[in-house]
Amino acid sequence: MSSAVTAANEHDHDHHGPAKGLKRWLYATNHKDIGTMYLVFSGLMFFTGGFMALIIRSELFTPGLQFVAPNFFNQMTTMHALIMVFGAVMPAFVGLANWMIPMMIGAPDMALPRMNNWSFWILPVAFSMLLATLFMPGGAPAGGWTMYPPLVLQTGDAFPFLIFSVHLMGLSSIMGAINVIVTIINMRTPDMTLLKMPMFVWTWLITAYLLIAVMPVLAGAVTMLLTDQFFGTSFFLAAGGGDPVMFQHIFWFFGHPEVYIMILPAFGVVSEIIPTFARKPLFGHDSMVYAASSIAFLSFIVWAHHMFTVGMPLTGQLFFMFATMLIAVPTGVKVFNWTATMWKGAMTFETPMLFSLAFLFLFTIGGFSGLMLAVVSSDIQYHDSYFVVAHFHYVLVPGSIFAIMAAVYYWLPKWTGHMYNEKLGQVHFWLSTIFVNVTFFPMHFLGLAGMPRRIPDYSTQFTDFNSIASIGAIGFGLSQLLFVYVVIQCVRKQGAKASSEVWEHPKGLEWTVPSPAPYHTFNDPPKVAAEVAFS
Amino acid sequence: MNDDAGNKRGIRKTALILAGVAVFFYLGFILLGVLRA
Repeated sequence: MSSAVTAANEHDHDHHGPAKGLKRWLYATNHKDIGTMYLVFSGLMFFTGGFMALIIRSELFTPGLQFVAPNFFNQMTTMHALIMVFGAVMPAFVGLANWMIPMMIGAPDMALPRMNNWSFWILPVAFSMLLATLFMPGGAPAGGWTMYPPLVLQTGDAFPFLIFSVHLMGLSSIMGAINVIVTIINMRTPDMTLLKMPMFVWTWLITAYLLIAVMPVLAGAVTMLLTDQFFGTSFFLAAGGGDPVMFQHIFWFFGHPEVYIMILPAFGVVSEIIPTFARKPLFGHDSMVYAASSIAFLSFIVWAHHMFTVGMPLTGQLFFMFATMLIAVPTGVKVFNWTATMWKGAMTFETPMLFSLAFLFLFTIGGFSGLMLAVVSSDIQYHDSYFVVAHFHYVLVPGSIFAIMAAVYYWLPKWTGHMYNEKLGQVHFWLSTIFVNVTFFPMHFLGLAGMPRRIPDYSTQFTDFNSIASIGAIGFGLSQLLFVYVVIQCVRKQGAKASSEVWEHPKGLEWTVPSPAPYHTFNDPPKVAAEVAFS
Repeated sequence: MNDDAGNKRGIRKTALILAGVAVFFYLGFILLGVLRA
């Protein structure tokens, strides 16, 4: 593959390396350094949010109140969601984007490196502020990550901290998204036409447009909450002539595209990995681009399926039901294309491929339960039950998080210059896959049997499945320590040296630079040879 | 080099347009709230 690269590419300028000490990270403008910081931050948030999940599952191990007071339980469900969505999954994908997009499009760095630094450093401030609320009088926010008024307005001293931290998270995401779009539009190597771009770049481009459209909407909604609480407005207060349901409409106008913000880059990752380990080009590259674009468009017109039970005209229910079901078409295109890519391929099953295959099966389960929830008459039964918890955890854990793990295993040798321990990686995969199902599959049954979500106690008939789910959660949490061990081992260069290609003839410009990738890559725009191009 | 003068202009223009879109969505939805309340 390296022979396909032009001479310009072979003498990557490495004449000024990273600064020394803390300054390297504090003043970082290099996309690789910022990508690393995003990934490390995301890892810390995964374990923080995961610890909260374990508190929740410990409390639910048996009926009755065991360890925590109900209000603290509600704080845990709220904080777990906020941290996992905004602190773990989204920053992990931004980290991957920072590391990989410039290398995949032949750019020397992100287009706006100083803004990139700012985008990252806002995050630790935002989450420190959010986590600090745990120690305030009244505790952390406990009204759910959806922040529905009037309940959220009962939050104590934590309320303004919640609102400000959500604003900061939004600001960080918008700046990150602007950087991604500007980089892709303006910094591609001249040979890299739009349809030659790798799927990871494509899905991130679409995700970034979604972010710019919907993060300001969330910011607008929480600004109105703030003015309702402190400045005497009544946007959402019925007593003052406001409409609490309007908040739900605005929130979910942000919230549903947010779901795709967390899954489209995962589609991109899987679209990179499956062709490499099936040793075949991605089936239907262009149709994948159109499918991702269709999913993004549809995500804007389905928001009210989250709120069928608030009451709406029949025509509204029908519109949102059918529009939601329509999303299954482009998603199906993607699933069939990945399957067709593997068809008659010379497949091998290294850890990134295993995680990608698990993604394919288990994300599809989450997709199917999503279809069930789209049916208005059924949704009225399932709403606010554990079935919904099962659904979105199948989409987010073996969906988004497995894709993130697959991406880390896939690109780690490129980042560190060393192979990870394949055997331990596979052990990590099997433990994660078994425990993720032990945790979340029983929740379908609990929901169908009528167990409501967000409660610290439950009727005794729900005991068995809750105990199984809690054992699964503890197993899943412990398994992730193995992931950390494997990554640290690789970062400390304890594995075999990785070649520039790392895998067997993978496609893409990132595999044309040495491993580890030099601090500065593609100072001169590379040529995109046929073997490297995607379309 | 990728970052020639023309490219820098393009970068600035695209970034400003996108920032404008974000501000438009932010203020637009607050305006929606004002009109609806």
